[in-house]
Amino acid sequence: MIECPSCGRKHRPGTLFCSECGIYLPTGGPLGTEPIPNRDLPAGKASAWNNEPDREGVRRSNAALQMRIASSGRQIQLPVGEDFQIGRLDAAHGIFPDLDLTPDGGLKGGVSRRHCKIYQNDGDYYVEDLGSANGTFLDGERLTPYLPHILQDGDTLQLGRIALDITIRQ
Amino acid sequence: MDVEKDYYAVLSVSPFASQKQIKHAYYRLARRYHPDSREVDTPTSLFHEIQEAYAVLSDPSSRRDYDRQCDAHRRARRGPLAWSILLSRKTLDTAHEEQVLYALLEIAPSVPPEDNRLPLDLALVIDCSTSMKGHRLKNVKEAARQIIDELHDEDTLAIISFNDRAEVVLSDRVGGTRAHAKAGITALRAEGGTEILQGLRIGLREVTAHLRPGVLGHVVLLTDGRTYGDDEGCIAAAERAGGRDIAITALGIGDDWNDDLLDQMASRSGGTSAYIASPGQVRSLLQKTVRGLGSVYATGLSLTVRGAEGVSVENAFRISPALERVYSPDGAMRLGTLAVDTPVKVLLAVAVDRRPPGEHPLLELELTGDIPSLDRHEETLKHVVRCAFVDDAPNGGGDDVPPALLSALGKITLYRMQERAWSALAEGRVEQATRQLEMMATRLLDIGEVQLARSAMLEAKHIAEKEGSTDQGRKEIKYGTRSLDIGSEAYD
Repeated sequence: MIECPSCGRKHRPGTLFCSECGIYLPTGGPLGTEPIPNRDLPAGKASAWNNEPDREGVRRSNAALQMRIASSGRQIQLPVGEDFQIGRLDAAHGIFPDLDLTPDGGLKGGVSRRHCKIYQNDGDYYVEDLGSANGTFLDGERLTPYLPHILQDGDTLQLGRIALDITIRQ
Repeated sequence: MDVEKDYYAVLSVSPFASQKQIKHAYYRLARRYHPDSREVDTPTSLFHEIQEAYAVLSDPSSRRDYDRQCDAHRRARRGPLAWSILLSRKTLDTAHEEQVLYALLEIAPSVPPEDNRLPLDLALVIDCSTSMKGHRLKNVKEAARQIIDELHDEDTLAIISFNDRAEVVLSDRVGGTRAHAKAGITALRAEGGTEILQGLRIGLREVTAHLRPGVLGHVVLLTDGRTYGDDEGCIAAAERAGGRDIAITALGIGDDWNDDLLDQMASRSGGTSAYIASPGQVRSLLQKTVRGLGSVYATGLSLTVRGAEGVSVENAFRISPALERVYSPDGAMRLGTLAVDTPVKVLLAVAVDRRPPGEHPLLELELTGDIPSLDRHEETLKHVVRCAFVDDAPNGGGDDVPPALLSALGKITLYRMQERAWSALAEGRVEQATRQLEMMATRLLDIGEVQLARSAMLEAKHIAEKEGSTDQGRKEIKYGTRSLDIGSEAYD
């Protein structure tokens, strides 16, 4: 008997697809996030201490964040006031990100299913890497997982190989 | 050894017969037909033939040679039909109690003919119930008028409108009656209820009245509603039509029609069914259907699969021209027609029990069909699928699986997932149905089918909340997976 790597269902030898979850059994299906070789990723590391919000005395409580996915040209407007998760949809494991990068080449680009989240706090936008396999980069520097970094207008976020251009408007 | 002779038939044994069975068959026949025997008065040539057959088949190595040469001979002898057979594995493992083998059959004309068009004997059965009012009937009328221009003079066309009852608008040779037919279509009006059997019965009657040898009979049913109380009558009528080689194309418009009924009518008659989401698509779909009829090469294709002992066919799907489950437990599967330009593809899932090392015959395949343009009937192809059993065979999958087989199986897997979701839902297992659709959505995303994945996700959400499916979502997913075009690279 062979066991489906995704749902654990047992199949007779020679079976090619899991009838339960539809996965291609010999390779386990195109599912997991492949690690990208280091040389393909930016090398720098963002300092967690250089994290002071740039206020200039103005409170940006109504600021709207928009991002553009470089690979596909898709533009997304962030809903105000909510955590916004970015990753790849995987219904079998109950992962439903707010922004699914699968149609933008997310799987090949090394985007994890739960990659990072963006949220608003006290008028500022923050990005936090969620322990992704290939990292989240802010202007070329890798973010320490689970440590929030402030986002500014004109920043470029990179998830694995997928780049997101950030625009913040008052 | 003479490959023109069927030694198995001479000894009245199956190609799967063991050496022992062959020996017994020989002893029985030899005793009966021996020249010294007084039992029957037969020419001695028959006895010599039996001896010759036994001489070849009694020795495993000369039997193997004979089998191989016969296969080659059958391939070389070019009939009007040709096929190729691909297996998911080159070798099977002796260690497994039971294992799975897939076979993909691809059937095509051996030499594509230049001009092959058969005269058509077509009935358009048009739903004119109240719900067709407006855009739907307007589009159907336009499509039907356009079809009239595409038909040839020697074709016959019957137009039947139906609601609670059916009416023959016209039934005649196309040449000379085009203007009359178009006027008849223009005058169609929508009113009343939907009783499909009324229309279907009259449509089949008209087609049968015009049917001659060498003519292709076909019914196109266009409907947007559910029929009331005559479902079983419709299926029985479709079955009878299939028996006379009259296939039914069932086209459902909008979301309210009964997909199970239309699918059954299509598959019982050897035809196809399709979903028309917006009335604007009627034209292209009807045109495609009629053009497809114009390129029909073989009709009444039927596949019989016999397994050796311990070998069973567990499922069978036609993949091309349209995805349809064709499995039937008694072996004869109706495959419909073969077009000049589109091969018929069938996938078999087979369970094989444990066997000792060596080559074993597993399946005997027999395909029959008529080629009306060549006046050939009951044209038959035969093939015995053999597979080698070895110790420590590679465990299947990976690079060995032919890409065409892989993409066919991938498509069937997705189609089966949605089938399982609907049947789980019908049995009240809401959670199971939701999970199946969600997993299907994930697989669809993996292969880049974003639109269909979204439909599956939405439907899963709806089912979880409302404990029921939507007519639209169900049809989008069912007919969407059926027409998927998956390349094997999706499983790299």
